[in-house]
Amino acid sequence: MEKTIALRVNGRAVTVTAMADTPLLYILRNDLALNGPKYGCGLGECGACTVILDGVAARSCVIPLAGAEGREVVTLEGLGSSSAPHPVQQAFIEEQAAQCGYCMNGMIMTAKALLDRNQNPTMDEVRRALSGNLCRCGTHVEILRAVMRAAQLLSSPGAHHDDQPNARPDARNAIPADADPCGADGGDRRPADR
Amino acid sequence: MAATGVLLIVDEIQPPPGLVAKGGTATPKPPETALFLALRDDGQVFAFNGHVDLGTGIQTALTQIVAEELDLRMDQLRMVLGDTGRTPNQGATIASATIQISAVPLRNAAAEARRFLLERAAALFGVPAGELRVEEGVVIAGDGNRRISYGELVRGERVELRISGKAPLKPREQYKLVGKGAPRVDIPAKATGEFSYVHDLRLPGMLHGRVIRPPYAGIDSGEFVGNSLESIDESSIAHIPGVIKVVVLRDFVGVVAEREEQAIKAARELKITWRPWTRKLPDLSNLAQALRENPSTPRKVLDKGDVDAALAAADQRMTRTYVWPYQMHGSIGPSCAVADCKADRATVWSGTQNPHLLRADLAWLLEWPEERIDVVRMEAAGCYGRNCADDVAADALLLSQAVGRPVRVQLTREQEHLWEPKGTAQLMEVDGGISADGGIVAYDFATSYPSNGAPTLALLLTGRVDPVAAVFEMGDRTSIPPYDYENMRVVINDMAPIVRASWMRGVSAMPNSFAHDSYIDELAFAAGVDPVEFRLRHLTEDERAADLIRAVAGRAGWQPRTAPQQTPPEGDVLRGRGFAYARYIHSKFPGFGAAWAAWVADVAVDRKTGEIAVTRVVVGHDAGQMINPDGVRHQIHGNVIQSTSRVLKEQVEFEDSVVAAKEWGGYPIMTFPEVPDIDVVMMPRENEPPLGSGESASVPSAAAIANAIFDATGIRFRELPITAERVREALNGPSEPVPPSPPEAAKPRKRGWKAWLGASLTGLCGVMIGMASSALPFRAEIAPVSPPSAGLWSSATIERGRQLAALGDCAVCHTVENGATNAGGRPFETPFGTVYSTNITPDPDSGIGRWSFAAFDRAMREGISRDGRHLYPAFPYTAFRNMTDDDMQALYAYMMTQQPVRSETPANTMRFPFNLRPMMAGWNTLFLNRETYKPDPQKTAEWNRGNYLVNGLGHCAACHSPRNALGAEKLGEAFLAGGTVDGWEAPALTGLSKAPKPWTEDDLFTYLRTGFSQRHGVAAGPMAAVVHELSTAPEADVRAMAVYLASLGGHVGRDAVETPAISPAPVNSANGERIFNGACQACHSDGNGPTLFGVSPSMAVNSNVHSDSPDNLARVILHGIQNPATRDLGYMPAFRDSLSDKQVADLMAYLRGRFASDKPAWTDIANVVAKARANPGTH
Repeated sequence: MEKTIALRVNGRAVTVTAMADTPLLYILRNDLALNGPKYGCGLGECGACTVILDGVAARSCVIPLAGAEGREVVTLEGLGSSSAPHPVQQAFIEEQAAQCGYCMNGMIMTAKALLDRNQNPTMDEVRRALSGNLCRCGTHVEILRAVMRAAQLLSSPGAHHDDQPNARPDARNAIPADADPCGADGGDRRPADR
Repeated sequence: MAATGVLLIVDEIQPPPGLVAKGGTATPKPPETALFLALRDDGQVFAFNGHVDLGTGIQTALTQIVAEELDLRMDQLRMVLGDTGRTPNQGATIASATIQISAVPLRNAAAEARRFLLERAAALFGVPAGELRVEEGVVIAGDGNRRISYGELVRGERVELRISGKAPLKPREQYKLVGKGAPRVDIPAKATGEFSYVHDLRLPGMLHGRVIRPPYAGIDSGEFVGNSLESIDESSIAHIPGVIKVVVLRDFVGVVAEREEQAIKAARELKITWRPWTRKLPDLSNLAQALRENPSTPRKVLDKGDVDAALAAADQRMTRTYVWPYQMHGSIGPSCAVADCKADRATVWSGTQNPHLLRADLAWLLEWPEERIDVVRMEAAGCYGRNCADDVAADALLLSQAVGRPVRVQLTREQEHLWEPKGTAQLMEVDGGISADGGIVAYDFATSYPSNGAPTLALLLTGRVDPVAAVFEMGDRTSIPPYDYENMRVVINDMAPIVRASWMRGVSAMPNSFAHDSYIDELAFAAGVDPVEFRLRHLTEDERAADLIRAVAGRAGWQPRTAPQQTPPEGDVLRGRGFAYARYIHSKFPGFGAAWAAWVADVAVDRKTGEIAVTRVVVGHDAGQMINPDGVRHQIHGNVIQSTSRVLKEQVEFEDSVVAAKEWGGYPIMTFPEVPDIDVVMMPRENEPPLGSGESASVPSAAAIANAIFDATGIRFRELPITAERVREALNGPSEPVPPSPPEAAKPRKRGWKAWLGASLTGLCGVMIGMASSALPFRAEIAPVSPPSAGLWSSATIERGRQLAALGDCAVCHTVENGATNAGGRPFETPFGTVYSTNITPDPDSGIGRWSFAAFDRAMREGISRDGRHLYPAFPYTAFRNMTDDDMQALYAYMMTQQPVRSETPANTMRFPFNLRPMMAGWNTLFLNRETYKPDPQKTAEWNRGNYLVNGLGHCAACHSPRNALGAEKLGEAFLAGGTVDGWEAPALTGLSKAPKPWTEDDLFTYLRTGFSQRHGVAAGPMAAVVHELSTAPEADVRAMAVYLASLGGHVGRDAVETPAISPAPVNSANGERIFNGACQACHSDGNGPTLFGVSPSMAVNSNVHSDSPDNLARVILHGIQNPATRDLGYMPAFRDSLSDKQVADLMAYLRGRFASDKPAWTDIANVVAKARANPGTH
């Protein structure tokens, strides 16, 4: 049965008429032309479809439209644009944290939600937060660096990211190029540590 | 391109014929004129290359090359890749050959343009061309006061030049862009959602298509392919709005709909009958045997010395077998394409690896000339070989042709997993040995590679191409080892695929190198020589390889060794390090080399659990000149991570002769917590030609890791993946089998609806008939009244009635899925037949609008309808009779003031004799007046209120008490001791509860209020609907229910959340563990995973995992939780279309063994799963 459902997307009030059990992902992509979130598995396993729902990372492929009723949805497009990227996007661009880039939406949105609740995560916390996001190209090293850089960009003085997305253009050098996140902070892991 | 004002650089090219099967001959295509570069007078410059960007950043590197030759800024140039209408046909983007090969004419084209433009400017300015310089596309003479842009130099003209190959190339020492790290041109748009992948293309008037694949998943040869469709029942999707067409062409089936979700639903629900398909695959759990038995033709590619004589004379013969498993490309985005097929032209937007080859396939499919089809290449998710990108393009074209409108087809995750041409299993057999003095006597190598080009699926399904498996000669990549063995023979057993298979990153070179570099490691230890030193001694004369090996060993701090296990263990952790070297030799034998690569891998192995971590990889790489060193480094990282994942984790398994894994749980790949530390050594070779870097760093992976595990454990692993299970078994012998379950009789059994039937039906009838005469089988009608007006009751009374309706969960049973509240019609399957709930809105005709209070009261307390008919005790009047008169009045007030909904209740389909309603009179005599509720003056008012609600209006016992053979709730000890409803177990609410943690009052309150208790789990099935109602009831009433219920279990009190106890030793259910890790863990991580919307229920305390009955767990896994009790809980997807019964059973066995190890293992899980799948229930 079709229903008309009101929600907020990237700060805008929208209403959508569709079957109430339609996954939010298809509404965002097909009705609202927001292609940032991607279809990857439809089962919440890979994270490519991640959006932020009422402040928390959410897998939009398993949340029905009805479940988003009255809620606030933020998509990749809601963070920033290529001319004025959000600091998390900025960090991903600076660290070149994409090969094919298909998973990048999920990485950025999950990182954004993490940094919103933990401004200074350790590398292990970042690995854990991203443990449910799959990347097949093997961009993990660059992605981990990007999240650490994003934490720095966000915490640097004057980085009010909502209105000053490029507050720290010189932040490119904030992390020494040879500081490999896997080695530097990930520690000498054993199987039992996982 | 514009007719005037443009400079075009073209060349005559010979389009490559495409891949040819063994024994076939290539059909040469006529030479064609191809465009490489276009420079327009508006300043825009376009460069064209027939290869595509598969996610490796080739667009950026090619942009660097052209911009460098022309002295342009990167952003002044647009690189066009792969479109058949615009770019040269340079064949498939394979073998990492774009930079090495197809960039050459492009660079020459840019040089040609530069020479022409400079000559023109020289003539204009009257100075020699050699005195001009170019900055950002502007030609400048002398001191800079004379300048003219490239655009102005071609204004008003159309100049077409051929690539002469003689235009001078820019000297390397003047390079400003090439050889320097360049940020990728596509990343800013990708990071912000502005980039359009093929998945994101939306055309005006576009429809959405889905395909339905045949059941022979992943098999593409055999007479049944294209011949298995029996019938299609289109009426099965008649109820789905927006469906435009069902398209059927032999075994090709697709649906087209207006909206994507409509197409998804239609594809899921379309009823198709397929012919039974009898082909059995060989036993692919024994790959070595299966590949040995697969028919093959040996092809000797090297034979030197006298191998047989040398082997015969060996002092120590070493015969070894290496096995590589089937693996998946596993693109994160399942393939997608859009097609727009008009009467005489078609355009297909595709993420293909081979636009020109795809066009030829599409032309063949439609029986059209190629010229009428354009393939526009758009980026897709990363491609590591031949995945389903071409398949879906053909699917879209067929569907678009059928409906005459543009159609977008998105494959599902399940389809991509099942049908992508797999990276094939491969068998490497080595014979050799050493002489008494430690010398190598011979190397006799044979490799079997059952893989081909995987014909585009639609061609096979529609019957355009015969489903006969072609043999390709691709098993020979890096088949010659890089070591100079005196007596050496290399044989390729060319063979047809067993399952659909095609090239995947590293092609046959990765498995071949696994054998070569594992074997030489073994030889080194046998000879008592350090394995790095041993390689250097035997390396085929190749100084760059030796330099690389030394550089990598040096960076890693390699300590020479002649025996394994020299690192002291730390507790249970064994550490080791291994070396491997390889050069990727690709293309038609003898082929040519891409970059050189060498690895030092460090591993840690837990000797108890067998778990392995690759902790660090030092990887060296010599790619000659690097166009974009940052891009090369990135490729190396990617290769290391992906190949480590393949070596440790990845294997396609088969179930019932088809691919088993349909999602990431069944085929797990490496995740962030497992990523090793990677240290890259890039050899400085600016003056050497650039070599491909897309695959090389993968090639030494398997041998390096296997050699490191040997160093750690002393055990050689020659079959991949090297999983914890395999290591555990190798170290400790076969795993302990799961402890046998107690015999069935010893276990308490739930008596569900089915059990009722076990009782004697004859006796039942006898009782009922016997009672009928004495128990007023026919009751009087109570006269209808005019619907009472709403003004009759105060709003406070109506609100109280609403709360009572919530506490009584009326809507749970009296509302159908997505239907109007309380309008009835929900079916209840009982052993006696199907009962439908009635319409209890005040509609005068179909509802209770004409019911007086007396009629309502009688129905609620005695189960008699207004018209005198008996109601079935599915309606819990036995509980409602305990309600107070005041409450009944208020409930009536609320019921009569609801919005009336006209909705006729479907007729019940009860079986004889239960279809005789008067029989219920006898039932009532037996069971109606039994005491279930009595206030207890010794208890608190709150307890008594809870008692009243639980046993009255709340009718908890209706589901949570077992029923006797006559369908009546049992009393005494059995009261609230657990029942079954709608296929769900309603667990015991008493001391008989199997919950691992006692249900405290707080637990019960939170659970009843929100649908979730951190110590017990989530309400699902009918209970979710009950809590949904309770969430709107007064808090004090829900608290009272919690107080009363907690007292039944004897666990009164408020209790803090404790840490769950998890069994550290996994049971023998490795498959279940894999599925849990890949499919479930993100949401059920016990705090070790991501924070996601909704609750994160712990399996350690989950009631369903600890119950005697596996039913609820099976139902939740299969059918998910689509209607959670309250909105903030989040949703659980249904896995019924993604996991097989066996996979669900394995998962459940794992959950039980891991999280409820104190409970006996469940038996017969597979049957429970099959039943839960067949009977989804109504909640």
